[in-house]
Amino acid sequence: MSSLQSMQLRLQQAVMAAAASSPPELVGDGIADAKTRLAIYRHGYRARLREALAGEFPALASLAGRRFPSLLDRYAEACPSEHYNLRWHGAGMAAFLRYALPWRERPAFAEAAELDWAISTCFDAADEPAIDAEALAAIAPDAWAGLRLAPPQHLQWLALHSNVDAFRSAADSAASRPHLRRRAQPRQLIVWRQGLTVRYRALEPMESALLAAAARGEPFATLCEIAAGHAPPGQAVARLAVLLRGWVDAGLIGALQPGET
Amino acid sequence: MNAVDQHRDRPPYLGYGLGLRVEHYQELLDHPHGVDWLEIVSENYMVPGGLPLVWLERFRARFPLVMHGVSLSIGGTDPLDDGYLARLDALARRIEPAWVSDHLCWTGVQGVNLHDLMPLPYTEEALDHVVARVRQVQDRLRRRILLENVSSYLRFADAQLEEWEFLAAVAERADCLLLLDINNVYVSARNHGFDPLRYLDGVPVQRVQQFHLAGHEQGEALLVDTHDAPVPSPVWALYEAAVRRFGAVSTMIERDDHMPPLRELVAELDDARRLAEPLLRAAA
Repeated sequence: MSSLQSMQLRLQQAVMAAAASSPPELVGDGIADAKTRLAIYRHGYRARLREALAGEFPALASLAGRRFPSLLDRYAEACPSEHYNLRWHGAGMAAFLRYALPWRERPAFAEAAELDWAISTCFDAADEPAIDAEALAAIAPDAWAGLRLAPPQHLQWLALHSNVDAFRSAADSAASRPHLRRRAQPRQLIVWRQGLTVRYRALEPMESALLAAAARGEPFATLCEIAAGHAPPGQAVARLAVLLRGWVDAGLIGALQPGET
Repeated sequence: MNAVDQHRDRPPYLGYGLGLRVEHYQELLDHPHGVDWLEIVSENYMVPGGLPLVWLERFRARFPLVMHGVSLSIGGTDPLDDGYLARLDALARRIEPAWVSDHLCWTGVQGVNLHDLMPLPYTEEALDHVVARVRQVQDRLRRRILLENVSSYLRFADAQLEEWEFLAAVAERADCLLLLDINNVYVSARNHGFDPLRYLDGVPVQRVQQFHLAGHEQGEALLVDTHDAPVPSPVWALYEAAVRRFGAVSTMIERDDHMPPLRELVAELDDARRLAEPLLRAAA
């Protein structure tokens, strides 16, 4: 290891360490001693990470309340940034909250982080086309059975036991903090981008099953069978048609792939 | 002739610009008067898609752009990040900036990014190391890059060169250009007790392509480069000395925090114009 390498490693450790100590390579002078000089980098490191993370996790911030700053500091200690973009430092937040005490005892924290991060990554995900109603209308009647409806690749699925989406929504609109509610069975929530706008919403079981099947590449005929399993007799196709129109209007269908005829 | 030689000509003089910040996006498009060019933070636009790139295209249609990075880590001892360079190159190909710059610093080792501009010890070992890496980056990007002097708060026991000697030697040996941050010169001069005019005198005139102007704050013992305040009078005075020495150099106000309304930054940019233009006319 060169002396430059070893100096950088020792200095980096001194910046990141919980307790201040100055590496031997650093000296002070009549203006300031070495410890005072190093303190600017130590303070700046923590402040920068905290500020960047706070901006990425509004639902988590709302949920954690006054515990949020210490949560961020613990995350930064456990998971140093390894990405060239400071914004991406939060990529491991949900995983950290699932295993680290005391937060793993509050699973809503990890769910909030997961939702915040999904929204953040959708924001600048790769641009993808979305079909419009005209494309749907142009499909020949005999092509429907084999048709595959491909959701956008950036679409993310979250299984949530708590109403963290309400926390996010309240944080984004500066509304008052909601009450935390938990449910035994998880709700499916999707996050996607319609044009340039990131959207998220919970799905009822029927819609969830159908959109998941579409994402798996199942043909429209299979979607009809799934709909029949969820809807009252005789209503399956009509309900599927309503859902399909809603998906198109929301930019949830990226492409139509014709099946074999 | 290597890849860099093909781009040896100096980039153009752009006049007086601002750092592009989200807070001013719409206002800049609605009222571009007084802003000749924009500097973007490269990493903010090294993304797959979405709103950042849409805005960027809008600005590209209206202003000359330059790219300014914060994570190249030219002085770092980890290998240069190929993935980072590929994305940087892709962005440069996409927006065709007048130039690409980063900082004479390191940002982390062993895979960690401190997201800070860590100063180098000004030693012969560090000089050889940086020169080799600048050449590598310039070959990869097929263009000369600009390196910016950073504000520094640390003193290294084994320093062999003054900061300006190190900066000049990097530029000459690696054949790169310089982004001279006038505020950083002033902050480092105060924090290390040297004469900022000696610094300016030690920087080769033909290497300086861009100036940054910014504000700072007084800490307990040291000046801290915060970029959150108007350009203070000692920095204006140093800018005047820099214009006298270096001539017409593209000048930019850099504000990162406590963001004022756009009109205040444009007014500050006009102050730079009013200070520099008579000097440049007199020297012509």
